[in-house]
Amino acid sequence: MIHSIIKRDGRVVLYDQNKIASAILRAMEASGEGNAADAARVANAVQSALQGRFRETPPNIEDIQDQVEKQLMNHGFNSAAKSYILYRANRTRAREANTSLMKTIDEITNIDARISDMKRDNANIDGNTAMGSMLQIGSAGAKAYNEMYLLRPEHARAYREGDIHIHDFDFYSLTTTCCQIDILKLFHGGFSTGHGYLREPKSIQSYAALAAIAIQSNQNDQHGGQSIPNFDYGMAEGVAKTYRKAFARTLANAVEDFLDQEDLAERVREVVSQAEDASGEHPRLENQAAFDPAMTESLCRNLSLKEADAARLIARARRRAAKITQADTYQAMEGFVHNLNTMHSRAGAQTPFSSINYGTDTSPEGRMVIRNILLALDAGLGHGETCIFPIHIFKVKEGVNYNDTDPNYDLFRLSCKVSARRLFPNYVFLDAPYNLQYYVPGRPETEVATMGCRTRVMGNVYDPTRQIAYSRGNLSFTSINLPRLAMEAQGDEGLFYEKLDGMLNLVAQQLLDRFEIQAGKHVYNFPFLMGQNVWLDADKLTVQDDLREVLKHSTLSIGFISLAETLTAVYGAHHGQDPAIQEKGLAMISHMRKFCDRISQEHKMNFTLLATPAEGLAGRFIRMDQQRYGKVPGITDREYYTNSFHIPVWFPISAYDKIRLEAPYHALCNAGHISYVELDGDTAKNVEAFEAVVRWMHDAGVGYGSINHPVDRDPVCGYVGVIGDVCPRCGRREGERIPQERLEELKKRYPEMPAFQGIQ
Amino acid sequence: MTMKQTNEKLGQGVGFERIRRITGYLVGTMDKWNDAKRAEERDRVKHGLK
Repeated sequence: MIHSIIKRDGRVVLYDQNKIASAILRAMEASGEGNAADAARVANAVQSALQGRFRETPPNIEDIQDQVEKQLMNHGFNSAAKSYILYRANRTRAREANTSLMKTIDEITNIDARISDMKRDNANIDGNTAMGSMLQIGSAGAKAYNEMYLLRPEHARAYREGDIHIHDFDFYSLTTTCCQIDILKLFHGGFSTGHGYLREPKSIQSYAALAAIAIQSNQNDQHGGQSIPNFDYGMAEGVAKTYRKAFARTLANAVEDFLDQEDLAERVREVVSQAEDASGEHPRLENQAAFDPAMTESLCRNLSLKEADAARLIARARRRAAKITQADTYQAMEGFVHNLNTMHSRAGAQTPFSSINYGTDTSPEGRMVIRNILLALDAGLGHGETCIFPIHIFKVKEGVNYNDTDPNYDLFRLSCKVSARRLFPNYVFLDAPYNLQYYVPGRPETEVATMGCRTRVMGNVYDPTRQIAYSRGNLSFTSINLPRLAMEAQGDEGLFYEKLDGMLNLVAQQLLDRFEIQAGKHVYNFPFLMGQNVWLDADKLTVQDDLREVLKHSTLSIGFISLAETLTAVYGAHHGQDPAIQEKGLAMISHMRKFCDRISQEHKMNFTLLATPAEGLAGRFIRMDQQRYGKVPGITDREYYTNSFHIPVWFPISAYDKIRLEAPYHALCNAGHISYVELDGDTAKNVEAFEAVVRWMHDAGVGYGSINHPVDRDPVCGYVGVIGDVCPRCGRREGERIPQERLEELKKRYPEMPAFQGIQ
Repeated sequence: MTMKQTNEKLGQGVGFERIRRITGYLVGTMDKWNDAKRAEERDRVKHGLK
C-alpha cells in the first residue's frame, strides 16, 4: 500500500489518490476524451503500478507523473496523455524560470554593475543605484511572467533560443514604444501632467521648461524614447511671446527716458495694444509693414510725440527687445538641455530618452531658436561636458537650408561646426525620395522626423489621409537573427529564403498578438499620452474607451540584425567587398520590405521594416550562435554582430563608399535607419570636410546619418577634443596629478575653464 | 558622488572621459557600456575622405 509520497522540496506528505484522479481528469477534459469514471480507472492503475515498484521508500512526484503518462497511454487515452505531457513540461519550465528569476535577482542585488554585463545591458540605467536595481528586478520579473503566460509556445521558444528578439520585452503587456509629441498642440490651452495643471506658457523660458516636462511625462507612459518633431516651430511661438512682452517694456523705458517721466509702463502697454488693434499685428522680431506705422501713429496721438521722435523710440525699443529676446532664448535653450540631462524619469533610474528635430523653420523666431539650441549644445553642461540628451536632429532640405542661397543655410553651417565638436546634431534628409513624397511646403507635420536612435513613422496604410510625423509612434518591434538563418541553411540560398519567410510570418503573428494586448488598454492606462491627447485621435476617445483604433496609426516593426555576416554565410563575402553581393543584400532586404508591405495591406495596419538598433542584441545573438556553431570566420568570430545593414565597423572603406553602399537600404527600411561615418579627430575639426560628408549623405539618398569622431574630455582642465595619452591642454596623463599653480596659470589663458570640483 | 580634491592632489586618480556614439545614442562614458558594445567600439576603423 502507498501511504506517502516525497514532494519536490523533499517533504514527505500523505498519499492522496483523488489528487491524481483530478489531474488526470483535467488532462482528459483538455483533450476532449474520457470522463470522471475513466479518470478514476486510470488513477487506480497508477496506484497499482506504484505499489509494485515502491515497497520500501515512498515514490516522488516525478515517479507518479511518469506513471500517469504511461497509464493514460496504456488505456488508449493518447490525446489526454499528450496534453498531460505538455502540462508537465510547462510546469517544469515555470519552475526553472522561477529558479532562474531568483538567480537573476540575486545577481542584480549583489554584483557590482562593473562586473555584471547583464546589469550594463542598457547603458542609460545605472545598475548600481537603488532605483536602477529596482527597475532591473521589475524588468526581470516581468520578462519571466510574459514568457510564461503571454507568448505562444513557438514564440517563446524562438525568443528564448535567439531566433528572434522581442525588444523591450519587460513592457510587453504594459505599453507601447514611442511618440512624436506635437508640442504646440499640447501647449495650446495648457495641459496636465497628472500631478498638476499647467497654463499655456507665455515666454520662451516657460515654453522650454514645459517642453522638458512634456517629454518627462510622456516617457513615464511609454517604454521608448520621446521626440519633439517641431522643436523650432514650437519654441518659435514662445520667442514671439517673449519679444512682444519685451517690446512693450523697452518701449515704455524709452518713452519714460525721453519724456523724463516715471510710471508710464501701464500707459505705454495701452498705446501698444491700440497699435495692435489698428494693424492687426503683434510686435514681432522682423520688420513689419503694418505694425510700425500704426505704432508710430498711436504714440504720436496718445503721448503727443513728434513722428520722428516716435519712430526713433520704436527703433530703439526694437533693438533692445531683440537683445533681451536673444538673451532669454539662449538661457531657455541652455536650461532645456540642462533639464534633459538632469531630470529623472522612471523613479530616478534614468534621464528621459529624448530627441528634438529642427532646422526648417525660417521665421526670425524659429531661426533664433535653432541658433541658440545649437549654441547651448556647443557650450555643453556646467563643466563643459558633452550633453548626452536630447538627441539633436537637424532636418536638411533643399530650398530651406541646403544651398548657400537658402534662408537657413547659415544655421546648417553652424550645425556642422557644432556636430564636429559635440557629435550632435544628426541629420535627417528630407530630399531623399522616400521622404520627399510626404513633404508639403508650409506643413511641418509632413517633414520626416526621427525618434531616439532611429525610429521613423510616416506612411499610414490605416489612414492614408494622415501620413504625418506628428502624434504617432511605434507600437512594438521584434528583430530577426538573420545570420542564424543563413547558418542553418548552410549557405543554400533557396533554403535561407524559405527559413526567412517562416521567420517573417512568425514575427508578424507575434506582433499582432502583442497588438491585441495593447489594443485592450484604455485611456486611463495612459493619463498623459492619451489623457492629454498627445496621440493622434486620442481626443476622440472617452476615458473608458479602448485604444484599438487610435493605435492603428502607429507602426509594428520587423527588424533585422547583421546583414553583413548573413551575406558572408550565404555568399562568402559581405556587401562592402563585392558589388554583386551588394545586389544580393538589396534583394534580401527588399524581400523583407515587400513582406511588410503585403501584410500591411492585408491587415490595414502599418507593418514596417526596421534597421534594428542592436543595443544589447549584437552581443546576445552572437553568444548564442557561438555556442551552436562555434567561431565561424567572418560570421561569429567577434564579440558582436554588425548592426542592421551596416558595413562592418572593422572593414576598411572610404566614407564616400560606405555612404554610397548603405544609402539604398535607407529607402527600404521605412521603420528607421541610420548610417555612421567614422572620422578621426582632426578631420572632424575641419568644418568644410565635415560638411562635405553631410552633403554626400544628402546626395546619396541617405535618410538619417551622423558622423562619429572621438570626443574626449579632461575633467581637470576642462579640455574637450581628442586626447591621446596626454592631455593637450594641461599635459597630464590619465590619473596623474597636476600642480595647483599650473592649473591657475592655465585658467588665465582659458578663462572659460571650469573650476575643478573633483570627479563625478 | 563628487569628491572634493585637495590642492596637493589635483587630478590624482582622475581619468579622461571618452564619449562615443552607439546605436544612435551617446552613452555617457564608456564604463557603463556592455561588453559587446565595448568590443565594437574598439574594432572601429576610421573612414578616409577619398
